[in-house]
Amino acid sequence: MAVVAVDRQQGFAGRRGLRHGQHHLQSLAFLVPGAVLLLAIVVWPTIATVRYSFYNGTATKAVGLSNYKSLFSTADTLIAFRNNVLWVLVFPFVVTVIGLVFAVLSERIRWATAFKTVIFLPIVFSVTASSLVFTQIFQLDPHIGVMNAIVQTVDDWFNPPGAYPLSAGQTAASLATSGVVAAPHGALETSATVKAGGTVKMGLTGVNPDTLTVLGARQARLPAPFAGAITGLVWRDFSVSNPSNVSGVLPDEDGFPNLHVSLLRSDGSTVASTTTDAFGRFRFSNVGPGTFRVQIQASNFKPSFSGTFWLGPQSLTPTGNLGQTAQALLSVPLIDISMILAYLWIWAGFTMVIVAAGLAALDREALEAAHVDGATEWQTFRRVTIPMLAPVLTVVFVTMVINVLKIFDIVVNLGIDSSQPGGQSSTLASDVYYLGFGGGVHTGLASALAVMLFVLVIPAMLFNLKRISGK
Amino acid sequence: MSQARAVLSASRRHKLFSIAALTGLLGLAVTMVPASISTATPALGHIGGSVSLWAEWTSTEQQDFEAVLSPFQAETGVNVIYSGKGSNMDTAIDAAVAGGAPPQVALVPSPSTLLALAQKHAIQPLAPVLGSEVSDYGSAWNNLVTYNGKLYGVWFKAANKNTIWYNPAEFALAGLKTTPTTWQQLLTDAATLKRAGVTPFSLCTDIGWPVADLWQNVYLKTAGAASYDALAAHNISWMGPTVTTAFDTLAELVGQPSYLLGGTKGALANSYPTCVDKVFPKPGTMPQAAMVIEGDFVVSEIVGNSPGYTAGTTGAGGKKCTASPAGTPCYDFFPFPAPAADQKNTSAIQGAGDVAMLFKPTAAAKALIKYLGSPEAGEIWAHLGGFASPNKLVPLSSYPDPVTQADASELQHATGFVFSLDDLQGSWEPSLWQDMLNFVKNPSASNIASIQKTMQAQATAAMGH
Repeated sequence: MAVVAVDRQQGFAGRRGLRHGQHHLQSLAFLVPGAVLLLAIVVWPTIATVRYSFYNGTATKAVGLSNYKSLFSTADTLIAFRNNVLWVLVFPFVVTVIGLVFAVLSERIRWATAFKTVIFLPIVFSVTASSLVFTQIFQLDPHIGVMNAIVQTVDDWFNPPGAYPLSAGQTAASLATSGVVAAPHGALETSATVKAGGTVKMGLTGVNPDTLTVLGARQARLPAPFAGAITGLVWRDFSVSNPSNVSGVLPDEDGFPNLHVSLLRSDGSTVASTTTDAFGRFRFSNVGPGTFRVQIQASNFKPSFSGTFWLGPQSLTPTGNLGQTAQALLSVPLIDISMILAYLWIWAGFTMVIVAAGLAALDREALEAAHVDGATEWQTFRRVTIPMLAPVLTVVFVTMVINVLKIFDIVVNLGIDSSQPGGQSSTLASDVYYLGFGGGVHTGLASALAVMLFVLVIPAMLFNLKRISGK
Repeated sequence: MSQARAVLSASRRHKLFSIAALTGLLGLAVTMVPASISTATPALGHIGGSVSLWAEWTSTEQQDFEAVLSPFQAETGVNVIYSGKGSNMDTAIDAAVAGGAPPQVALVPSPSTLLALAQKHAIQPLAPVLGSEVSDYGSAWNNLVTYNGKLYGVWFKAANKNTIWYNPAEFALAGLKTTPTTWQQLLTDAATLKRAGVTPFSLCTDIGWPVADLWQNVYLKTAGAASYDALAAHNISWMGPTVTTAFDTLAELVGQPSYLLGGTKGALANSYPTCVDKVFPKPGTMPQAAMVIEGDFVVSEIVGNSPGYTAGTTGAGGKKCTASPAGTPCYDFFPFPAPAADQKNTSAIQGAGDVAMLFKPTAAAKALIKYLGSPEAGEIWAHLGGFASPNKLVPLSSYPDPVTQADASELQHATGFVFSLDDLQGSWEPSLWQDMLNFVKNPSASNIASIQKTMQAQATAAMGH
């Protein structure tokens, strides 16, 4: 750039008729401050980085190409390469398309300025702030994370949870204490059979007292036997005053209200179903002869939707059984997709504005000619607008490629699976930072990564430079 | 002997601290030597000049530390130019030494930084400066900062990671009246909590460092401090039996998904300090688990969530502890328990600390070092809270509540003190954290074996042996 500027100045000055030598000195004098700055803060660090990339972790011993070898052989760096490739493949294309769609739409709606302002707004926030906002949006806990709150609401609508939802990792079988055994499909049933006139006691634990309080539970009471009927009690078989006592119905133990129970014949067929009262009691009247079992239905324990870990390392591609290297190269962790979504929100406004500027500068005659010739909206858009916009779209695309090649801020700030080397969302730039300045310092490896990153950015940079100087 | 030491200490006491000194044994000592109160002979006297001082503390901690420094400045007339470097303290010191312009005095959070500087002769031995004050610290502390038989550092602030924090109201829901003293009892109590419908643990995982802290506690309690130091220096193989034992022991806990809030999936999404908030929530939400395993620094998060949290097992105003943070909530801790067969390791403690070192032996800098090593300096911050001193002469009564007292008492009486092993691993620390997360994800015996193999390879590559 500097060279180009000097050439132009020379040409200009030459026409003015200054003597060549005098002009040369003058321009050199003007160049010195800028050149010194450029040398000190760009050229020298670049050279130093290349040099350090051939040294060990503490920059004390030359190690030849070993840093570059480990770049391509350790799973940690391969993950970073993979993530950079994923970003470059997905993000620039999608953000350009979204920008184009928004730009075209904004030309055809009322309140276009308001619309554009809202879409453009995220670009004025710092990426760190946006990342923190999205960390909340993607939280696992549906009480905090909006994404999971939406999914939970919809999920609960179609699959309502039971009155006694199991906590994560808990099984219905683990709730059974006295008189209860696990039945197939997550149900529980009486351990012994019962006949008409009998009473069953079914003790359960593992349920928080708050759950019972909310359901209006009262102190557990064993129902009296009733002629021709089977009566029973389901109660919280855990006494705060005597935690080691299991099986006895103690005064500080409550019944399980609102529990769906069924009466089963010995062949497994259902005779009747009922729900327990506030004291945990139930009764099946006129059951007839034979032996029965009482079952507590699995639906009582159906857990609520527990949330998708949007910022988690779980892969969208089935790579679980592959080796470490193949996993590093082929996994697509969900956190990458969540990050790309957040980054789209940030950058869509920018691409929209650039494309909209391009649209405004389009030759309207060509569009009108297309309409006159009977082209449909889509044909006009596809065959006239896009080709004419191509230069603008290319600039946007290439800028975004460079932008995401060195993607860093959102990677470091969004999510906890993290951006540490080896973390599923780490990228080249975040690895450079962490290896160079963060926890595990290895100057050599960090420098080698930085050189790799530089090499990768060069083609895109040259392309843009060529376009600029071409104009 | 200890009384004689206390008398000595009292004679060094500035009158500013006489209120604190009027309690307990020290109070007795002061009445025995009344002259020390009325004349208040300052040990240091007027010196003048200035001294540059670096430490990691910024914002609130910086204010607290400046409160510690102000009596020193008033007494000696020395102008202390303090600079808080935040979490970059070690890097900043290394850079300053390399650039030839270190501060005169600095406090670093890692003894390995200090030992490296001692090796380079960048810092001064402290025994001549401190004199008898050297013995105010347990040998576990002094050994950490001794190089070639010479003491190079004086400890000022310590953190205790040998702690499990619990919500007393949640323990009460399960009828638990005492806290566990063995690992086995901890697991039994966890089972009791689960039977009461209380999730026992909010396991902090974050990017792996809290799991590393937890694992290191288990390793220290099962293998002992000597093995711990050997493993930290990679003189023990990561595939060795002591490492396997520690993983197997911890698997008894993390291998029970129902003991962990949100199961294994939830645990892996539990970042710090959110994991603390799940046990000690802000008003408006209820606790979701009973215990959180991390160092004593969780206290600032707890009281930050609500100033209503009372230290101990009795709520504000002598009321019962409530689960609801809007009522009279409480927080308390118990020491990380050793397995029944390894009770000898009970007083071996994992922690962290800030150690002061002397770069330039000017009169003012030496006086500052002496002051930082005195119980007076520690007492000021102890009163302000969020601080524990490893100095035996800082009276426990100067800490604001019984929980901090118990915390500081543990630190002062540690028979072994080890630093976080992960922080000593250099470039493979992040990989170690990943390995720990991998362990939480799948704590099966086969995965433990494969993790140990990976860790051995990583440690060998990073540490060169």
